[in-house]
Amino acid sequence: MTEARGEIFDIGYQHYDGPRNGRLHAVWSLWMNGFRTTLGLGRGTLAKLLPFGMLIATVAPAVGVVLLATIFGPEEDIIPSHEDYYGLISILLLLFSAIVAPELIIPDRRSGVINLYLVRPITAIDYVAARWASFLGLSLILVYSGQVLLLIGFLLTAGDPVDYLRDNWLDIPKFLAAGALVALFVTTIPLAVSSFTTRRTYAAAVVIAVFVISVPVAGMLTSSDCEFSERTTSEGANVQTSRCEYVTGDAAKWFALLDVGRAPIILSNMIFDAEGTGDPVWRLIDAHHPSIPILWYALLVLGPGALLFLRYRRMTI
Amino acid sequence: MTGPTAGRPLLQSNSLTKRYGDTLALDSVDIQVFDGITGLLGPNGAGKSTAMKLFLGLLSPTSGTAEVLGEKPYENVEVRARLGYMPEHDCLPDAITASEFLGHMAQMSGIPAVAARTRAADILRHVGLDEERYRHIKEYSTGMKQRVKLAQALVHDPVMVLLDEPTAGLDPGGREEMLQLIRRTGREFGISIMLSSHLMGDVESTCDRIIVIEGGKIIEQGTVSQFTQETETLVIDVDDRRDEVVAALQGRGIEAAIDGLSIVVQRQSEEQFDDIRDAIVEADARLRRLAPSRGQISDIFRRTSA
Repeated sequence: MTEARGEIFDIGYQHYDGPRNGRLHAVWSLWMNGFRTTLGLGRGTLAKLLPFGMLIATVAPAVGVVLLATIFGPEEDIIPSHEDYYGLISILLLLFSAIVAPELIIPDRRSGVINLYLVRPITAIDYVAARWASFLGLSLILVYSGQVLLLIGFLLTAGDPVDYLRDNWLDIPKFLAAGALVALFVTTIPLAVSSFTTRRTYAAAVVIAVFVISVPVAGMLTSSDCEFSERTTSEGANVQTSRCEYVTGDAAKWFALLDVGRAPIILSNMIFDAEGTGDPVWRLIDAHHPSIPILWYALLVLGPGALLFLRYRRMTI
Repeated sequence: MTGPTAGRPLLQSNSLTKRYGDTLALDSVDIQVFDGITGLLGPNGAGKSTAMKLFLGLLSPTSGTAEVLGEKPYENVEVRARLGYMPEHDCLPDAITASEFLGHMAQMSGIPAVAARTRAADILRHVGLDEERYRHIKEYSTGMKQRVKLAQALVHDPVMVLLDEPTAGLDPGGREEMLQLIRRTGREFGISIMLSSHLMGDVESTCDRIIVIEGGKIIEQGTVSQFTQETETLVIDVDDRRDEVVAALQGRGIEAAIDGLSIVVQRQSEEQFDDIRDAIVEADARLRRLAPSRGQISDIFRRTSA
């Protein structure tokens, strides 16, 4: 029998003479790294719990709606539709982005890794754009996954899927457009807040506080004293009417906009041509010319976005 | 090292000036750095870090130019793909393995994904972290983290690496290991190095050339041997009776002075050695050493402050 023999050689340091990619590849790598970071990929089980838990939580309402649709049919009024979905999951999305978005940029500054990124062949703007795009990618997955599940569920539970699609195909571009607006919103504000602190908990607390506190603040400033009366129409029908005096008078409709978390949902409703929930804040927002909520949304996204990019533009090690 | 960069400077500055408000950090500095290991030596606040940031393209000069491989890095960031940088301070993530981190850093410098993983494994082996490469960085000692910092600067096979105070925070053993690794990087791997330090010993034992910077100005530059060559001073060490030896030397017309525990005389001729021998015999002193003194890098700072 021959004896197997092997030798290990130390061939020393080897220079790299393969292909080298440019700046776009570096930005792509950073985007991919950010995406993996937010999902906790390549990390322990604990790091995956929150993102995957949130993914399940945002899809869960869609599963519930599909179950209802199997019982009642997809076009029954009782079944929430594509237009209602972002309203249903908006609070979950806001919470998720408040907690997870800071994870993308704060540890880089806190640990000093940003010093290594900024000496790679990218600019500081490339860095922050890649990080922003990473979280936008995840947000898009979150907002669309439930809608896609709803669509599949409605198609499967409809008596005639082809008829259903012919009658409702416009919902698809609508939920894509509205979802993009929701994702842009929940991406930009938390990242902008995160660029001003090196503590993830502070960033999360500020974002949650802004979204949560703005609800009662807007509610308080738009509270009203209403008088209800009944009158009989010429056809003999009884109609109930109300006359409300807002505590902040005519300014109430502007204070209604202070419920910032509602900004993308207002635009979603505009895209779907849907009614609001009918609460006083919705009624006041409806009283505005449509350009006002659009401008307000643009301000809420572009303002923090500009702050985020300005903050990093001046960053050096 | 020979190669495409042989003969032309890797780093070059012309009248490089950087001003932060009223503070002049660099004042019309001209530097040329070629292949090999170059030490940028100077006290804290001398302008070393500012010079490094200008060469990395993180700052733009107030006036003058800073070029890396013929490109201005503050105008063309892509040239950084051929540079490595090891910062002085902490810069490593905690929650990932060294292997994954280095693979990512290689990709960030343009290496495709598969090659990046291979390079990461190779470099971690070269810096002595082969066995630990799948451990999370937070579990590493200070010395191991310092090696990861060096590894990330080398993983994309740069033409040159800039090391900012690479031995900061290390104990004497760790410091010597790091200096050895730097020497290997420069001499065996053929990667040129610019090393900034305020520790003369580190620079003297590691570098081929030295640039001494103080108050934003270059005060000396040259090879290490140029600064440490023999001087025209002779040093005489005797066990005792120093005063008597000095008197005997002066009696023979030799100017001598006591400097610490040694006697120093200015070297004049070969015959002088006979006179010195006779003076020691006359003073009945026991000779320990008679040798020409060597220059020290610290002399540069003494001359400057004088």
